[in-house]
Amino acid sequence: MNPVVMQLTVRGLLGRRRSILLLVLPVVLLGLAWLQRLASHGSPTQSAGLTGNFALGTLLPLMCLLIGTGVIGPEIDDGSIVYLLNKPVPRRSILLAKLLVALATTLVFAVLPVAASAAIAGDRDFTLTAAFGVAALLAGIAYTTIFVALSVLSRNAVIIGLLYALLWEGVLGGYVPGVKDVSVRQWALAPAEHMLGADAAGYGVTSAVTVSVGLTLLAVVTVGAAWLGIGKLKTLRLAAAD
Amino acid sequence: MSGPVVPAVPAVPAQPAQPADVIHDIGFRHYDDVRFGRGWVVRSLLVDTLRGVFGLGRPARSKVMPWILVGILLAPPLVIALVAVLTHADTLPISYTQYLSRLQLPIGLFVAGAAPYAVSRDLRFGVLPLYMSRPMLRTDYVWARFSGLAIAMFLITAGPQTLLFIGALLGKMPLGHNLTGWLGGLAASVFLAILLAAIGLTIAAFTPRRGLGVAAIITTLLVVSGVSFALSGIARMQGEDTWSAVAGAIDPYRLVDGVASWVLGVAPANPELAPNTGAEIAVFVMVYVVIVGVCALLLGRRYRKAGRL
Amino acid sequence: MSAIVLDKVSRWYGNVVAVNDVTMTIGPGITGLLGPNGAGKSTLIAMMGGFLAPSAGTVALDGGHVWKNPEIYRRVGLVPEAEAMYDMVTGAQFLLANARLHGLEDPGAAARRALELVDMVDPSDRAISTYSKGMKQRIKMATALVHDPTVLLLDEPFNGMDPRQRLHLMDLLRRLAAEGRTVLFSSHILEEVEQIADHIEVLVAGRHAASGDYRRIRRLMTERPHQYTIASSDDRRLAAALVAEGAADGVTLTNGTLAIQTSDFGRFVHALPRLARDSGVHLLEVSPADESLESVFAYLVAR
Repeated sequence: MNPVVMQLTVRGLLGRRRSILLLVLPVVLLGLAWLQRLASHGSPTQSAGLTGNFALGTLLPLMCLLIGTGVIGPEIDDGSIVYLLNKPVPRRSILLAKLLVALATTLVFAVLPVAASAAIAGDRDFTLTAAFGVAALLAGIAYTTIFVALSVLSRNAVIIGLLYALLWEGVLGGYVPGVKDVSVRQWALAPAEHMLGADAAGYGVTSAVTVSVGLTLLAVVTVGAAWLGIGKLKTLRLAAAD
Repeated sequence: MSGPVVPAVPAVPAQPAQPADVIHDIGFRHYDDVRFGRGWVVRSLLVDTLRGVFGLGRPARSKVMPWILVGILLAPPLVIALVAVLTHADTLPISYTQYLSRLQLPIGLFVAGAAPYAVSRDLRFGVLPLYMSRPMLRTDYVWARFSGLAIAMFLITAGPQTLLFIGALLGKMPLGHNLTGWLGGLAASVFLAILLAAIGLTIAAFTPRRGLGVAAIITTLLVVSGVSFALSGIARMQGEDTWSAVAGAIDPYRLVDGVASWVLGVAPANPELAPNTGAEIAVFVMVYVVIVGVCALLLGRRYRKAGRL
Repeated sequence: MSAIVLDKVSRWYGNVVAVNDVTMTIGPGITGLLGPNGAGKSTLIAMMGGFLAPSAGTVALDGGHVWKNPEIYRRVGLVPEAEAMYDMVTGAQFLLANARLHGLEDPGAAARRALELVDMVDPSDRAISTYSKGMKQRIKMATALVHDPTVLLLDEPFNGMDPRQRLHLMDLLRRLAAEGRTVLFSSHILEEVEQIADHIEVLVAGRHAASGDYRRIRRLMTERPHQYTIASSDDRRLAAALVAEGAADGVTLTNGTLAIQTSDFGRFVHALPRLARDSGVHLLEVSPADESLESVFAYLVAR
């Protein structure tokens, strides 16, 4: 957890066009949530629709992709990461520092707005907010870690991440039965479903897996992705000429 | 060719003759024939863009995403055609125009991957002066790239529609009805292709960093779609059906679908939310023109700066 | 005093061999790594710097391995070829970050010292994105010097520098080498290498073609005749005497100069003064025509 790496990463993340999207998207979401509250008079069912499908299903993975690829992708791409790698700092520390920045950014710009949108759009005793908050937190951690690791492992991380988040989880998940079991979104929804108890079905919050399976798989995938990313960073080949 | 030319030296004793400066012909080939003009250059760039979008003439790695998406787009029509033939259905389960809205995700992913290929690389590596040193204008470049991308978008939307049509024919469905439907669908495809290409190209031109353009385009399309549906839903809850329909104008797919279904007289993709009065359609058409116009303007400004050395 | 030892190092990518069985020792002083583009210089430097694992052979720094060993960077300063840097920070901030990443005790002072060494103190409070190419090269140099390394690996360091900056950097490298550091720099520009390298290593198509002082390498190349240009008071007489003696393989008489080819350098050098005196010819000018690094290099590349 190298503080200098974190500082440089924060500087890099916030100083680019990427950051415009990161600011605009939560604002748009919260604006929508507020409008929906006015229109539906705070109906929790409507709120669950907005938060569950749009916020959690579309916005969150996309923001995690932007953040996860943004903390390390551009530096690997133009080779400036050599200035981090040619220091007596363990590669593990470098990746974990960047991951920490990414997770913090995800928390502030993605997870909290998703939870807030449920609260703003309409909730009953904050049950929806809590449930979606937990789901967003778990999914956010997993997505972000996966995409950070993917950025180290492949130069085409964005496309692969998009194909996964949108096609695999989104489209195929609806048609092919087995796919739903291998989906970060489903794993993260399991605790949410559990928390909402009997109301879950009414809100459209269902999960293909049980809570224990979901949490375990999330942990496995997150830790595994981080480990793979660190391993690849140790042997990273910089784009050299000659 | 002739060797060094030695000028005749008058009798100056013991003065070695200085050879004149000369360039020898060592086989350099001159080209004095006809050179093709601007039109040819623009057409070549267009074809190159079109081929490159589909990964032709590029390494295998860049063929993966476009052809996966093409496969995803063509698979359902095949299935539908099969089902139609086997069940002897009378009509297709999905209309030609509805198909475009149904498959907006793969279509969106395609333009998200194709637009950065078309413009981002040249901007990132600053090679635009190389293009501009050829007999082409800055606007020619943008026009060629846009046209290549738009044609590609048309192909991937018209292709599945054509497959649907073939399926309908094989299933012995009424020809006249399907023919008009198919042609109408193609017309809708044209407008959708132009719109998506314009939006995609503009976003890609402002996000040259590798990967950012792809993410930005698909995020924009999805968010705009989500927002438009949410706004429509909110408006409907308030009983404001007009606003509910007009909110669809910000989503490219609903925009094209709304106008197309009204003009062609076919069922829209979202019946309760589609525009159905002349005023609403006028707004839609205006929004279309404004969006394309704004994109053209932004692209012009972007490339005004980039074309300079 | 640090030394990098490469022992039978090879690196291949699939079917392409980038570095082929290279054995060399880089010791204190300035070593120039010379080779045409595509010879494998950057690959070799990457392997020496612990950024690439050799496919075969070992790379050792003072006996310890460099691969997957970030600790070596306390002693090694690497100037990469890549142009990109963290654009949004100022030069001073970037150097400070580098100093802190090295874990130095007084990073501010180290950063300032490094900036002074490369003469970048004045522009150091501007963002790096506003720097010219030469200024970025100097900042790169500063990042490699900030932790006072004993080994400096520079990949094409003079790239993009104007003549004044180049002289300044050459001066700097000479001073660093005089302090006992091991400095290795790669280049394909012969004048640069000629001016400061004590010792050159020539890499051609991935193979280690030659090593040592370039004049002595020239002596070793006995297959190709030495060439000399002589201006004398009577070229024809001298030429005849040389050919008769057998000290020259070939003589060419052109306007005012005598060009000699000889494969036996020693014999020629001893015979020339004697023959000139015996023939009564005054020697006005004797200069070797091909004892420049350029001709050495051209010869090695052409082999």
